[in-house]
Amino acid sequence: MTLLQISNLQKYYKDVNAVDSISFDVKKGEVFGLLGPNGAGKSTTISMISTLIKPTSGQITYNGESILENPKAIQQKLGVVPQEIALYPSLSGYENLKFWGHSYGLRGNELKNRIAEVAEIIGLKDRLKKKIEKYSGGMKRRINIGAALLHKPELLIMDEPTVGIDPQSRNHILETVLELNKQGMTIIYTSHYMEEVEFLCSRISIMDKGEIIASGTQEELIEIVKGQKKINLKFDRITKELTEKINSISYVQNIDTQDEEMVLATQNGDNIFKDLISKVSETDSNILSIDIKKPNLEAVFLHLTGRALRD
Amino acid sequence: MLSIILLRLQRLKGEYHVFLIMTVLSLVFSFIFGMTQSQDFTPTVLIVDMDESTYSQMVIDEFKNDNTFRYSVANYDAAATQVEDGKVLASIVIYEGFDTDIRNNNIPSIGVIKTKEDRDIFTLNSIVANITSKVIGNTNIAEIASIYVSELADADKDTLFDKAYNMAVEDWRYKKPVFIEASTLEQGAGFSDDNLTHSIIGFSLFFSMYTIVFAIGEILNDRKNNTWQRVLVSPISKISILGGHLVVTFLIGLVQVSVLFISGRYLFDINFGVNLGVILLILSAFVFTVTSLGLFLSGIVKTHSQLAAMTPIILTGTSMLGGCMWPLEIVNNKIVLALANITPQKWAIQAMESIAIHGKGLNEVVFPALVLTVMGLIFFGLGVKLVRFE
Repeated sequence: MTLLQISNLQKYYKDVNAVDSISFDVKKGEVFGLLGPNGAGKSTTISMISTLIKPTSGQITYNGESILENPKAIQQKLGVVPQEIALYPSLSGYENLKFWGHSYGLRGNELKNRIAEVAEIIGLKDRLKKKIEKYSGGMKRRINIGAALLHKPELLIMDEPTVGIDPQSRNHILETVLELNKQGMTIIYTSHYMEEVEFLCSRISIMDKGEIIASGTQEELIEIVKGQKKINLKFDRITKELTEKINSISYVQNIDTQDEEMVLATQNGDNIFKDLISKVSETDSNILSIDIKKPNLEAVFLHLTGRALRD
Repeated sequence: MLSIILLRLQRLKGEYHVFLIMTVLSLVFSFIFGMTQSQDFTPTVLIVDMDESTYSQMVIDEFKNDNTFRYSVANYDAAATQVEDGKVLASIVIYEGFDTDIRNNNIPSIGVIKTKEDRDIFTLNSIVANITSKVIGNTNIAEIASIYVSELADADKDTLFDKAYNMAVEDWRYKKPVFIEASTLEQGAGFSDDNLTHSIIGFSLFFSMYTIVFAIGEILNDRKNNTWQRVLVSPISKISILGGHLVVTFLIGLVQVSVLFISGRYLFDINFGVNLGVILLILSAFVFTVTSLGLFLSGIVKTHSQLAAMTPIILTGTSMLGGCMWPLEIVNNKIVLALANITPQKWAIQAMESIAIHGKGLNEVVFPALVLTVMGLIFFGLGVKLVRFE
């Protein structure tokens, strides 16, 4: 059953086309991923779905009802975890949760009990007394998520919820997302971390420069690059000559370089190692490491845009 | 709206010391400035006698009988230096030939050395003109009398002149030909120190404006903390969000100005009259206007830092124009007086003074309160239009 339908959504900021006629739908009970590099238009899309900004054109319906005409149709049922920490720094974790619960209509014991439940979910039980400004980055992220869960939203939108946190908190957040989804919550998860989207999402749309460049399940997306390999190479130095030599290998389809690293998208070639080493030996550069990966969403993005999916 | 009100009160609870410090500092500064402006200070005026004649001495004696300023005699160089250094208000110079000018019925050579034009200089010019006219008048009387009497009786004309002049002077002193009775209309007890009352009213309103503008400016901090955006996607309506912020800011402002006025009343024994209800009405109108002004300013700027940079300029400028620092009665410039009408401070002070100093009632404050309310509504409308809800 389709819970959220996005049709030809567009957002212009003066001359900048931040979101360019995108369409996708989110089904009830799934974790839907929006994958793309920074500046791809993910947050603008999320802001339009959450009624924060109005689209230039297009339509968004929730349960069949237009949220552009009636924002209330989604606001009470929606939980939003913004990319930035959106909490009151001078208030404690408990006071913050109390306010956000109150703003969604929770009162008295119901609010109190729900704060306790959410504290348990985000792993901060008995640690809500400190002021937000005294929490670590990871703990702030967890409270930031908790604030969106108090009213048990039907649809939870998480916009890059793991940016800038420690691995432990990141794992906890990913496990929490899966657990919430198991309990029946529909989730839209945006990230530029391919591993997170692969780990969590059943269906994915890949965004770049305001457009959706591919959509489908992970398997469907990887099918696009079937027969391809993604090779990560690290050199002591990357020169123009080196790039030209590698580019001359017939089955190299894309080269993306950053600092001393090079990411190649290649069609399967029998002599790939031999050819690479031969070409590199003709230059002054030396290979420090080679990492060949199975086709994944990163390879899909590289294949479709010619660029790696980096920060 | 209740959620936002409770939130703002909760945040205020955590930052109550800031409110307390602002209030105490406002009170202290209001009182210091008030005391400074109400002190009984008599400026000194130097007199330079370059004529050194009988007539110039007569004029000097007349000046010394005047209590408006403190007079002393000095030489020209010392007088010029002290005026230049600001040590004295001005110097009166009786030029050489003063004596002859009077005798010949010419305009006497007397001048004033000054470095500024203000209320005191205006008063001094007036005193110089009066005293000179008086001396000339008395001299003429004595001259005519001495000639007349010396013709009748064979007496010394100079002795007669001196006697006639002194009699004329004495007559002016004790039997003035025109008697002006000056009286202050007594509107009730305790209205004696108008200057201090004006200063306390002006500075209390001035300082409280900072608290109010920065309190509503919290929405800019909320935007910086991303909580503004988060609240906007919650079921709380935009009207409730703004309403909550405005209600709490209004209450903060009203409590602070009330504390300032109550403290002025009980700590410094300043009488604001008996119409406390009317005072509260005008204060409410003023706080509403400033709250709306704060909303408008918060709509113009993008960050709290920009608001912090802009606010002192706007509030100090309008407070100077509106008469918070000094009474508008001493301002002569018509442009400045016209501009004062577009500041909320002018109307609030006018209304407050009509109650506190002149003892008037509700009728006198209805118009200023209406003006303030209209100003508030205009700022409110513009503020709502300008505040970013995205």
